[in-house]
Amino acid sequence: MSFIKKKAMVAMLLAGGQGSRLGVLTKDVAKPAVPFGGKYRIIDFPLSNCINSDIDTIGVLTQYQPMELNAYIGNGQPWDLDRMYGGARILPPYVRGKEGEWYKGTANAIYQNIPFIEQYSPNYVIVLSGDHIYKMNYRWMLDHHQQKEADCTIAVIEVPLQEASRFGVMNTDANLRITEFEEKPPKPKSNLASMGVYIFNWPTLKEYLIRDEADEYSSKDFGKDVIPAMLADHKRMYAYKYLGYWKDVGTIESLWESNMDLLKENISLELYDPRWKIYARNANLPPQYIGREATLKNVHVSEGCFIEGTVENSIIFPKVTIHRGAVVRNSVVMSSTTVEEGAEVHYSIVAEGVNIGRNACVGGPSEPVDHPRISVVADHIRIGNEARIEAGTVVDRDR
Amino acid sequence: MSCMGLIYSYSERENLRELTDIRSLAALPIGGKYRIIDFVLSNFVNSEIYEVSVIARTNYHSLIEHLASGAEWDMSRKRGGLRVLTPFANKEAMESPHVYRGTIDAIANHLQSIRQSMSEYVILTGSRILYSMDYGDLIRQHRETGADITVAYTDNLNGTNRVPQGSPIVQLDESKRIGRVRIVEEEQANVRGNWGIGACAIRRTLLESLVADAMSHQRYDLYTDILQRLSPTLKMYGYKYSGHLLEISTIAGYMEANKAMLDPEFSEKIFQKTVYTKVKDSVPARYGPDCYVENSIISDGCQIMGTVINSVVSRGVQVDRGAVVKDSIVMQDTEIMDLATVEHAILDKDVIVRDGREVIGHPAYPIVLPKMSIV
Repeated sequence: MSFIKKKAMVAMLLAGGQGSRLGVLTKDVAKPAVPFGGKYRIIDFPLSNCINSDIDTIGVLTQYQPMELNAYIGNGQPWDLDRMYGGARILPPYVRGKEGEWYKGTANAIYQNIPFIEQYSPNYVIVLSGDHIYKMNYRWMLDHHQQKEADCTIAVIEVPLQEASRFGVMNTDANLRITEFEEKPPKPKSNLASMGVYIFNWPTLKEYLIRDEADEYSSKDFGKDVIPAMLADHKRMYAYKYLGYWKDVGTIESLWESNMDLLKENISLELYDPRWKIYARNANLPPQYIGREATLKNVHVSEGCFIEGTVENSIIFPKVTIHRGAVVRNSVVMSSTTVEEGAEVHYSIVAEGVNIGRNACVGGPSEPVDHPRISVVADHIRIGNEARIEAGTVVDRDR
Repeated sequence: MSCMGLIYSYSERENLRELTDIRSLAALPIGGKYRIIDFVLSNFVNSEIYEVSVIARTNYHSLIEHLASGAEWDMSRKRGGLRVLTPFANKEAMESPHVYRGTIDAIANHLQSIRQSMSEYVILTGSRILYSMDYGDLIRQHRETGADITVAYTDNLNGTNRVPQGSPIVQLDESKRIGRVRIVEEEQANVRGNWGIGACAIRRTLLESLVADAMSHQRYDLYTDILQRLSPTLKMYGYKYSGHLLEISTIAGYMEANKAMLDPEFSEKIFQKTVYTKVKDSVPARYGPDCYVENSIISDGCQIMGTVINSVVSRGVQVDRGAVVKDSIVMQDTEIMDLATVEHAILDKDVIVRDGREVIGHPAYPIVLPKMSIV
C-alpha cells in the first residue's frame, strides 16, 4: 500500500488485562487505565517510553472494559502519537468471516494482528504490557538486541530471590544468553525476572506465532508457549538487564507503594525530567488553590485541587477538594473526590468521585509503616458523616 | 452559527511596563498557567466558534509560540480554524512610525484575509478586558434587533476596580438602541453610565465596507471614527453583560486580576466554563516537608520547599528552602533560592533570585523583574 511507510520497529502494547487483583479499582476499567501518580494512568508510562524512544507506531491491544481506555488514548495526540504514518492504533478483537474471536492469550493477540504489523514491514517488533510503572529507553534495548544479533531479547530486572517465583525467571550464561526460561517457578534458580518487554525479529516472531496458533495444546501465551518454543529451537535469545525503577502495580499494596515511592527523594523514577516526560491526557483544569488554613507536607498535588485541610505524604489527583480541618495522610486520593470538614483518611486509596463525609474516618492512623493495611474506597461512593472505615477494608457499593 | 472572531492581541492604551515590552498583551501570563489570550479564545471555543483571527502588532513571538496550530483550543481545522494575522511589512509600512495607524487600520491591513471568510458575522474583541460570554447569545440579539453593530456593555464594575481609559460609554434608549457614544479619557474608579467591555458584533460585509470607507477618509480609530461618529446614522444596540470582569491595562490592574483569582468564589465564576491553554505536561506540584503555603495559586511542575503567601505561581517555579514569596506574581520556571525574600513583586519568566536576596516592592508600586533577570 503506497500510503504506508516502512517502520524499523513497531510496538505492540498488550492493554487488555483485567488486573483482577486490583479489585474495585478495575471493575469498570482495564488495568492500564488505572490512575497513577497524580495525573497519569499506568498506560502513560509505556506510551511515553515509546515516544521518548522514537517509536511512533504502536498497536494498543484492548479487550477487557475498553471504553474508557479507548476514549483516553483517542487519536494519540497527548503522546504526540497522532501521526500521518503510524501513530497509536487501538486494536480490539474483531470478527473475521462468520466467526468472532476474542484474544485467547498474549501470543494469540499479536497473531490476530499480523496484518496490522505487516503493513509497516518492520524489522523488529517490541511487545509491551500496560501493567508496569517504569521509564525505559527501548532504543538502548534494541542496540543490545542488534549487538548480540539476537532473535529475541527479553528485558529483565533483578528481584530478591524469594520473590522471583512471582515472575518469569531467566537463567543466562555469562554472555546474557538465555539458557532457560521458567514461568513462575516454585524454586527459582535465578533472580532475573522478566519485565514483560520483548524485542523480536519480526520474521522470526511471525513464524513462531503461526506455529503456536496451529498447536491446539498451546495456551497461546508468550511466557508459557512462544518463548519456550524458541528456546527449544536454540534461537538466539538474550536478556537485557534494566537497572532503573520498575514496579508491577498489580495489587492494591503495590499500587499504593509505588505511589508512595514518588514522594521519596532520589528514586530513579523521577517524573520531574524534562528530557523524559511522561505525557498524559490533560483535563484543562485551573491551577490548584491552597487556602488559608492548609498544611502540606511532602505531597504532590494536581491541577484543579482546592486544599484547606492538612495533607501529608500523599498523592492528590486533579480536582480534589480537602476541606478545613480534614486530614489526609499516607494516601492516594483520585480525581474529583471531596474530603469534608473534619474527616480523616489514612493509608488509603480513594478512587474517583468519592465523597468522604464530615468527621468520617477511613483507614487506621497508626498502621505499621512497613506493611500497613491499605483501605480502598471504590469510585463514586459516599461515606456518611461520622462513619468509621477500619484499616484494610474495601468499601464498594452493593451489586 | 456562521460567525468568526477577530481578536486584537494588543491594546493601544495599556501601560504594563516591562511586561509587554517583550510580548503582546495577549501573551501575558496570568492566573498561574494561563495567558490572556486563553480566556479570549476560550470564549469562542465555548461558544462553538472555531474560526478566529488574531491581529498581531509587535513582539508577537511568544504569542505565535503559544498559539501554534491552535490545536489546544480545538482550533486546528480545515474549515475556519485559528489564524494569526501578522502585520504586512511592505516598503511603505517599514517607513511608517506605526505598524497600524489605529484599530481600523489594523483591520484594513488584513481585509484580504477577512474577506476570504465564509462567516456571516464577526465578533470583534480586545485583550485587556477579560469576560466570559456566550457569543451565541450576543449574535441572537444582534439578529433579532436587526442591528448594524451590537456593543457589549455593563453598568457595573463586575469585580474590577476601574473603568479603563479609552472605554466607550454608551447612551441607551429603552429598546437598548445606542444614542450617543462618549470615550473615557481618564480611567475612572466608579461607573458613570454603561461602558463597553471591548466586544461587539457586526455583519462581516458591513465591517469591510465601514473599514474601507473610514480608511478613504484617513480615519483610523474604531471607537471614535465608527462607534462615535456613526452613532446617529447606524443602527447600534447595546448587549448587556453582567458576568465577572478582569481588567488588565496597568500593572495595578494586572496585580488585582491575579489576586481576584485567589478568591474561591470569584475564581469559580471565572472557571465555570473551561479555559483552555497550552499543555506543558509538567508533573503535579510538589510540596516539601517544611513548606508553608497560604491563600495561593500553585501550578503544575512547581517545587515548593519554602513559604508562599497570597501569591500566584506559574508552572515550573521553584521556591527553595527558607525562601518567602508574599503578595507576588511569579511566572514560569523562575527560581527563588534558599532564604530569599520576594514581596509585592512581579517576577517574569526564568528569573533567578539568588540565596538570601531581597526583592521587595510596595503595594502601590510593585517591583517588576524582567524576563531572565538574575538578582
